[in-house]
Amino acid sequence: MNAPPVRERSPIRWLHANLFSTWYNSALSAAFALLLGFVAYRGLRFVFVTGRWEIIRRNLTLLLIGLFPRDESWRVWAALFLVTVGVAAAAGALRKRALVDTADELAPASPARRTADTLRRAAPLVLLVVTLFSLRPEPLAAVLVAALVAVAFVSWRAGVSLPARRVRIVVAAGVALMLGALLLLSAFGGVGWDRWGGLLLTMFLAVAGILFSFPIGVLLAIGRRSRLPVVRAVCTGYIELIRGVPLITLLFMAFFVIGFLLPPGTGRPSAVTRALIAFVMFTSAYIAEIVRGGLQSVPHTQTEAALAVGLQPIPTLRLIVLPQALRSVIPALVGQFISLFKDTSLVVAIGLTELLRVAQVLTSQGDFRGQQLQAETLIFASFVYWVGSYTMSRESQRLEQRLGVGTR
Amino acid sequence: MIVGAKNTITVAVLGIVLATVVGVAVGIARLSTNWLVRRAASLYVESLRNIPVLVIIIFFSAAVILTLPRIENSIEWLDAIVMSNRGTWVPTVVGRDGVGAFWIAVAAGVVIALGIAWWRTKRFEATGRPHHRVLWTIGVVAVAVIVAYLALGQPLVASLPERTARSVTGGRVVSPEFTALLLGLVAYTASHIAEIVRGSILAVPRGQTEAATAVGLGPMQRLRFVVLPQAFRVAIPPLSNQFLNLTKNSSLAIVIGYPELMRVTRVAIGNGSPAPQALVLLMVVYLALSLTISAAANLANRRLELAGHR
Amino acid sequence: MTNHEAMIVFEGVDKFFGSFQALRSVDLTVGRGQNIVVCGPSGSGKSTLIRCINRLEAHDRGRVVVDGIELTDDLRKIQVVRREVGMVFQQFNLFPHLSVLDNITLAPRHVRHRPKAEAEAEAMELLERVRIPEQARKYPGHLSGGQQQRAAIARALAMKPKVMLFDEPTSALDPEMIKEVLDVMQELATTGMTMIVVTHEMKFARAVSNRIVFMDEGEIVESGPPETFFENPREERTKRFLSQILQ
Repeated sequence: MNAPPVRERSPIRWLHANLFSTWYNSALSAAFALLLGFVAYRGLRFVFVTGRWEIIRRNLTLLLIGLFPRDESWRVWAALFLVTVGVAAAAGALRKRALVDTADELAPASPARRTADTLRRAAPLVLLVVTLFSLRPEPLAAVLVAALVAVAFVSWRAGVSLPARRVRIVVAAGVALMLGALLLLSAFGGVGWDRWGGLLLTMFLAVAGILFSFPIGVLLAIGRRSRLPVVRAVCTGYIELIRGVPLITLLFMAFFVIGFLLPPGTGRPSAVTRALIAFVMFTSAYIAEIVRGGLQSVPHTQTEAALAVGLQPIPTLRLIVLPQALRSVIPALVGQFISLFKDTSLVVAIGLTELLRVAQVLTSQGDFRGQQLQAETLIFASFVYWVGSYTMSRESQRLEQRLGVGTR
Repeated sequence: MIVGAKNTITVAVLGIVLATVVGVAVGIARLSTNWLVRRAASLYVESLRNIPVLVIIIFFSAAVILTLPRIENSIEWLDAIVMSNRGTWVPTVVGRDGVGAFWIAVAAGVVIALGIAWWRTKRFEATGRPHHRVLWTIGVVAVAVIVAYLALGQPLVASLPERTARSVTGGRVVSPEFTALLLGLVAYTASHIAEIVRGSILAVPRGQTEAATAVGLGPMQRLRFVVLPQAFRVAIPPLSNQFLNLTKNSSLAIVIGYPELMRVTRVAIGNGSPAPQALVLLMVVYLALSLTISAAANLANRRLELAGHR
Repeated sequence: MTNHEAMIVFEGVDKFFGSFQALRSVDLTVGRGQNIVVCGPSGSGKSTLIRCINRLEAHDRGRVVVDGIELTDDLRKIQVVRREVGMVFQQFNLFPHLSVLDNITLAPRHVRHRPKAEAEAEAMELLERVRIPEQARKYPGHLSGGQQQRAAIARALAMKPKVMLFDEPTSALDPEMIKEVLDVMQELATTGMTMIVVTHEMKFARAVSNRIVFMDEGEIVESGPPETFFENPREERTKRFLSQILQ
C-alpha cells in the first residue's frame, strides 16, 4: 500500500493537538490568546493610529546620519554602494566556497524555494526600508535603494561565479572597499568621523571596532598560550581584567584619561576616536577568548604532523592551526560583532550622538518638547537595532548550519 | 561609595534571581507542546534579545517615570500601593512588642519542617510511598507562622502607605530608577537565559528521554530525574556568563540616574577627586564582583562534572 | 495461536514518516515466551517495528496489541504497556549522572513504588545475573561498552517486564565485548522471557531464536524457524540478504 498518510491534516485536528490537548493546555491557550490579542491590538493601534510619528518623519535624516553635512550626503550613498559591493561579493564567494566543501551533503533546492527563502531572510530589512519610505517618500532615495539592491545582486553573482581559489582575493577586496568607503566619507574634502552621527556613527563604531580588534584579539590569544611567562602573564592579565569590568567604565576611562596618556604635542583625539579605542580594547579581549577556544579545539595532532613534515612553529601556526581555529569559531565571532553593534548604544553616556542619543534628544527639540514623544522615538530606535541584530543573528545561525556540515 | 556598592549588589542579586526565574519559565515555555505558548515565548525572546539592554532600560525608565503622576495625583492600588513619579510605596510589615519571639517561633517552625521533610524522605525509601516533601514543608511552615502570629498577639502589623498632601507616610519606598533598572535588566537577561535553558534541554541526547520513557517514567519524572539534571550541567557556564553580564550591565544605571556605583563615582570625579584613581577603584570593585561570580560558577561546574568527562 | 496466548499482535500496521512509509501492512503475532529475531537491511523498518510496541513511535493505521492492551492515544494504557515492556538500546542510553545502581532502581522506586532497600537488593541480584555486581556504585562513564549494555539490560529487567525488546544491542560494541552481552541475552531466553531482538548476529539467531523475521522496505518478507530460514529461504530478497550477511 503506497497511500499517503492517513491522518487528515484538518484544522480542527491541529487545533486540538496543539492548543487544546488537555484541560490545562486549553486554559493556557485561552489565557495566552487573550494576552497576545491584547498586545497585538495595542501595538498595532499605536503604530498605525495613535502614534505621533511626525517627530520621526521630520528628523529621519538626523537619525540616520546625525549632523553630517547635508550637501555632502552623496558621500554616504557612495560609501554605501562600495560597502554593498564588497559585502555581497564576499558573501557570494564564501558561499561558493562553503558549497564546494559540502557539495554532496547539501541538496540544491528549487529556484522558487530559494527565492522564497531569500525573501524570508530579507523580510526584516525590507520592513525597515518600507517603514522609512512610508515616513518620507522620496523618489530619488527609492531609485537609489533599487539601484543598491541591483548592485548587491550583481556583485553576489560575480562572487559566486569566481573560482573557489580566488576567495581570499575577494575577501581582501571587500576589506579594501570598506576602507575605500571610509576614505570617501572622511577624506578628499570629506567629513571627519567626529562629525558623523546617527545610524552612520553606530555602524562605523561597530564595523571599525570589530575590524581593529580582530588582529589584536588574535595576537592576545596566541600570546596567552605562549611559553614565555611574561608574555603569557601580560596577555592573561589584560584579558581577565577587561572581561571583568563593564564596558561603560572603559568608555569613561577612555573619555577622561586618554588625553593624559598621549605625548604632548599630539592633539586631543576626538570623542569618537576615544570611544573607538575603548571599544577596541574591550572587544579584543573577548575575541581573544573566542579565538583561544578555537585554538584549543584544533587537535594537537595537527601541530605534530606539521612539525614532523618540517614546518617551523610560526608558519605552522599561521598556515595550519590558525585557519582551522578561526573557521571553527566564526559563529562566535559574528555573535561578538552583534553584541558590539548593540553596545554602541552605550556611548550616550559620554555624549556621542549615535542612533540612541539622537532619538533621546529629539524629544527636547523646540517643536516637540513636552509632548511625551519618548515612546515614539525609543520604539523607532529599538526597531532599527532589532532589524540589524535579528538579521545578523539569523544569518549567523544559517552560517553555523552550513559550516557545521562542512567541517565534519 | 559604600552606598553605591550596596545598591549595585542589591540590583545584581535581585536581578539574577528574578531573571533566572523568568528565564527558566520562558525557556521551558519555548519547548511547550502548546503552539500559542511556544509562539508567545519565542516572540518575547526574539524581540528582547536583539535590542540593546540600555534601550530597554531607558524604555522602562521613561515608562515608569513619565507615565506616573506627581505625588498629589498619585495612583493608589487597592489602598495598598501608591505610585508616583517619585517612587512606588509598597506595604511593609513593622514589628511591635513580641516580634522577637515571633521570629524565633517561625525559625523553629522552619527547623521542624525540615525535620519532617527528612522523615518523609526516609519513609519513602522504606516503603516506596510518595513523600510529597514540598507540600509537607510548606504546610508545616505555614501552620507555624499562623499559630505563632495568633498566639503571640499579632506582633506584626502592616504598614500601609498613606498619602498626605505632599508626600506619603508609611510603607516602604522603591525609587523609580531602581524599578526601571531592575525591570530592564531582568527583561533583557531573562531572554538570554531562556535561550540558554532551551539549548541546554535540547542538548540532552534524545536517547536519554527515550530510555526514560521506555523504562516507564512519566513526563514529569523524566524531566525531574533525567533531563533537567543533565541540562543543568550543560547550562552552568553560559548561565554564569549571563549573571556576570547582568552585574556589569547594572552599571548602566548611571544613564538613568540611579545612585549606584557608577553614578557615585562620576559625582566623586566631578567633585575634584582625580579621575583615574576613582575609575580604577570602580573597576576594581566590579572586577571583584565578577571574579566572585566566576569562582562560584567554576566550583559548581567542577562539582557537577559527569564521570568520565574529565 | 489463540488470542490469549499471544503476547504481541500487529494487524495491518502502517507507519509513515512524512511521506516515507516505514511500515507496510505489517502482520505479526508473538506468543508468550517466544524469542523472535528481526533482521533485514538498514532502513527496512526493523527499529520502527519494535518502537511501535512501547509507543516510542505511534503507528498510523492498523492495530498494535500488547498483552491484551491495544495501543492508542490513551495515555494511561500506554503507561501500563511501558511498564510491562523493557527496552535495550543500541547506544545503551544509561543515565550518566546516576550510579549504575541508581540507574537500575530509579524506575522501580518511582514507578512501582518499591522501598529503597528492596529495590537495591533486587538490583544487586540483577547485577549478579549480568555479572557486573562490582560496578554497582560506579558511574556509567567509567564502564566499558559491554558493561554498560549489560547494566542497561539489568535496568530494563528491574521493572519485571513481560516483554524485552532489543534494538541492535551489540552494534555499537567492540567485537571482544559482543559475546558477553549475547551470553546474557541467551541466558535470559532460557528463563522464558518473551523477547524480540533486532540484530545482525546470525549465529545468535540460529542458536537462540524460535523464529526469524526478515524485513525489507517496511514489510515482512519472510518468517520462519531458524532451520528453514537459513537452509531454505523462499524469497529472492531473503536469499540475497543472507548471502551478503553470511560472508
